[in-house]
Amino acid sequence: MKGQPIFRLESVDRVFQMGEVAVRAIEGVSLEIFEGELLVMVGPSGSGKSTILNIIGGLDKATAGRVFFGDRELTSFTAAELTRYRRDTVGFIFQFYNLVPNLTARENVMVSTEISRQPMDVDEALRLVQLEERFDHFPSQMSGGEQQRVAIARALAKNPAILLCDEPTGALDFTTGKRVLRLLVDLKTRLGKTIVLITHNGAIAQVADRVIRLRSGQVVEVRENARPLPPEEVTW
Amino acid sequence: MSVLDRKLRRELFAHVWLLAAIAGIVLVGVACFVAMGTAYNNLTRAKTDYYRQCRMADFSIELKKAPRVDLRAVAELPGVTEIRPRIQFYATVDLEAAPEPLNALVLSMPDRREAVINDIVLRRGAYFSPGRGNEVIVNEAFAEAHGLAPGDWVKLLLNNRSQELYVVGTAISAEFVYMLSPGTIMPDAEHFGVFFLKESYAEDVFDFDGAANQVLGRLAPGTAVSTEEILDRAELLLADCGVFTTTPLADQLSNKYLSEEIEGLQTFAVFMPVVFLTVAALVLNVLLTRLAEQQRTIVGTLKALGYSDWQVFLHFLKFGLAVGLAGGLAGCGLGYLLAEWMTWVYRFFFVFPALENHFYPGRMLAALAISLGCALLGSLRGTRAVLRLQPAEAMRPAPPKRGGRILLEQVAFFWRRLGVGWRMVFRSLARSRVRSIAGVFAAAMGAAVMTSGFMMVEATYFLVDFQFKWLVRSDIELTFKDERGPDALLEAARLPAVARAEPLLNVACTFEHGHLRHEGGITGLAADAALTVPRDAHARPIRIPTSGLAMTRILAQILDLEPGDRVTVRPTKGLRQPRQVPVVEIADSYLGAAIYTDIEYLSRLIGEEYALTGVQLKVEPDPAARAELNRHLKQLPAIQGVADRRTMIQSLEDTIVLNMKVFIFVLVVFAGVIFFGSILNSSLVSLAERRREVATLRTLGYGPWQIGGLLLRESLLLSFFGTLLGLPLGYYLTVAMAASYESELMRFPVILSAATPATTALLALAFTVTAYLFVQRSIHRMDWLAALQASE
Repeated sequence: MKGQPIFRLESVDRVFQMGEVAVRAIEGVSLEIFEGELLVMVGPSGSGKSTILNIIGGLDKATAGRVFFGDRELTSFTAAELTRYRRDTVGFIFQFYNLVPNLTARENVMVSTEISRQPMDVDEALRLVQLEERFDHFPSQMSGGEQQRVAIARALAKNPAILLCDEPTGALDFTTGKRVLRLLVDLKTRLGKTIVLITHNGAIAQVADRVIRLRSGQVVEVRENARPLPPEEVTW
Repeated sequence: MSVLDRKLRRELFAHVWLLAAIAGIVLVGVACFVAMGTAYNNLTRAKTDYYRQCRMADFSIELKKAPRVDLRAVAELPGVTEIRPRIQFYATVDLEAAPEPLNALVLSMPDRREAVINDIVLRRGAYFSPGRGNEVIVNEAFAEAHGLAPGDWVKLLLNNRSQELYVVGTAISAEFVYMLSPGTIMPDAEHFGVFFLKESYAEDVFDFDGAANQVLGRLAPGTAVSTEEILDRAELLLADCGVFTTTPLADQLSNKYLSEEIEGLQTFAVFMPVVFLTVAALVLNVLLTRLAEQQRTIVGTLKALGYSDWQVFLHFLKFGLAVGLAGGLAGCGLGYLLAEWMTWVYRFFFVFPALENHFYPGRMLAALAISLGCALLGSLRGTRAVLRLQPAEAMRPAPPKRGGRILLEQVAFFWRRLGVGWRMVFRSLARSRVRSIAGVFAAAMGAAVMTSGFMMVEATYFLVDFQFKWLVRSDIELTFKDERGPDALLEAARLPAVARAEPLLNVACTFEHGHLRHEGGITGLAADAALTVPRDAHARPIRIPTSGLAMTRILAQILDLEPGDRVTVRPTKGLRQPRQVPVVEIADSYLGAAIYTDIEYLSRLIGEEYALTGVQLKVEPDPAARAELNRHLKQLPAIQGVADRRTMIQSLEDTIVLNMKVFIFVLVVFAGVIFFGSILNSSLVSLAERRREVATLRTLGYGPWQIGGLLLRESLLLSFFGTLLGLPLGYYLTVAMAASYESELMRFPVILSAATPATTALLALAFTVTAYLFVQRSIHRMDWLAALQASE
């Protein structure tokens, strides 16, 4: 069931200059991500998973190496091309949701539909995440799980081919976290989205089609999951 | 409306009071620009129209008496397009209803209506009729002050004979937009009138058959020859006719006052807005830098969602622009209203056929552009940070602010004595450098505006006291038609109610020193004069020189003279012989540019033994005695003018007191807007930046007032240093303004008493504390538990 590779990283480095110290966040990372899969990258904090996610999301640039998106080289994109890419191709989901506090749920989703070329209907996006009754609530009036679902709806509403999730369950309790996972798995199966999810929580890897394990900025293991578990059966 | 705009709108509403305070600063700046600019346009427009309508003369030549035919030569001079000879005399008016004799200027007008130079604009009644000779047209303000209307009769003392004149109309003229009687600084319509007589009648009554004593002329527009050159040639041409003075339009009294007012408006229309808009831009800068920092994550998220740098940048920029637009629009509105009010005030001082407030779209657009430009400038720096922020970086919490020691800590003995509170205050000020600089700058500007304003108020009171209580101390000043001998002084001293009489001899002269030249006059005083006491810059009396001149500083500067130098004096009457005269003393004067000397010395200069042209009187305060004196004065044919100085000073003081009250009020409000807006902004931003710190302090057991106290200390320090800078700034600003306003007509004293800095400092303190109370309210309302938990 493996599709075409949608991302290909070739010996990618990312070095952060922190004052006088150079911190190597990832080093010589090469990997592929395939269309339609749910890929989970696991690793402790500081292992470089967020850096990889940011690079393939067009939020950050590699210091060395090459990144391909399909047959186009992401690493050579101009700032304007990166903006277009983020706008049309990827949808981001953050650990702390990053909703605009003074906009309602619906308006937060509109933040994304307004700049999108083929947006989904806002209400439909919210229905997909089962938030019909919370349309006009502000973030401060919602629980963490609800806020994360708004953030997912916001990412979905642009109709991106790829969803990039940065610790989407990290700030949620166990039950809510599992509901969010279920939602993501459904999005993959029902809508055929490619989903890249990073977490430090190894248990979550059980729902993945493929798992990449990272440590100290390097890939230490790539493994296929022959039988992904449904989220409901995962515990942590 | 896009969602981002909705976000913007909600943020604007959430900060509405703070934004209103900042917009207030923009508003004041823009309102000044619009009000003064509009008033400037109104006056310029009214002046241009009026001068065109009346065919205002480009120059005038005053002479003793000359046949009209001889004057024609002036019209032949290159550049001169047209001339009009006319007869002008000063006279007194005897109105039954008025207790005192009133002064008048009598001017001849053609018998039949024609478009002449210095034409009149009829307001009531009609022009002269062909039949009657003794008809008169009275200037409107005088007629209104005394209830004169067409059909009334007035009695004027013309050429020593009392004449009954029939009023046919009332009129105004471009020559008298600002109508001053000689020796005054405020128009006094009640005591000075202009009377237009039929030319044929004037010739008859003044024995001027076919002659005139003034020539008015107009010049071809853009003529290559300068007015001065033309006047010099005219003076040569008319040498035999006894030329007293030549006056280009620029020196014409009414025009000079009007033009100076217009010029002053233009200066202020630039200066005030610059001050206010600079402060506004700085304050906005502080606010937007904070806003951009606070919304780091949102910026990152938006970028991650695919918003371009430009879109995010624009979104933040709009925040600042909204403030600029709000302030700009409100400023345009307020400015227009203020211009309406200013124009209304001007109508009391300047007489125009129509002085209306107009709407100038160009000025309004300029005002909006300026306010938006200022907002843009203020927003750019803070907002630019948004552009630089990489989305991945933006998502991470901001790195902690640079810590470490501050410079002040090196002054160990001082630092050790400070409590933790003060240490926090100093560190916070030192670390938010831009914010501290903005705060000090705003306070400095506010203090400077107040200082220079209060100094102007003091200067005005000083000027009035100096001029009317110390320099000239008489109650009544009489001017004779011709020079008189010592007997006239004795006669005046014998008038009822007169306690003291002193002689005056005014001689118009031309002064020359090297290539420098000045037309003016010398005033001769009795050696023991007590009713005119020339003074130096410190208001100390100076000796009246028995030989040589005591010259006003401004004239000494114009002619480049110092005590000990000699100046060539050419009197325009008497022997008219040029004489070399030493300058002995420098006197100070704020109104006019007088030169004093001993009356006997001056008499000899013009070849007389003892001559006087007027007397100054000190009069008993008893009203009955005064009335008796007035009755006598009305009977005296030799008198050309009576100046009741008591009444004049009273009306002057009333006007000044009222104007100053309005001025101080406006000034304090303006300065308050600066202080308030700046301090509110800097404290609220500081508070927002330190939510965590505040929350931590609260958990440690600090009360809201203690936390507020920290912020109050910061504000007080900023205001203190700002005011410290603002005081000298305001002082030098006043010095510069006084210098730029200085002219022969008027000079502004620079007075600094203890009251000015004290009042400024007290008001600065009051504004700071008021702004702090608003900040304290925010502290009380702050949800500090949430601040403690939130991940910034």
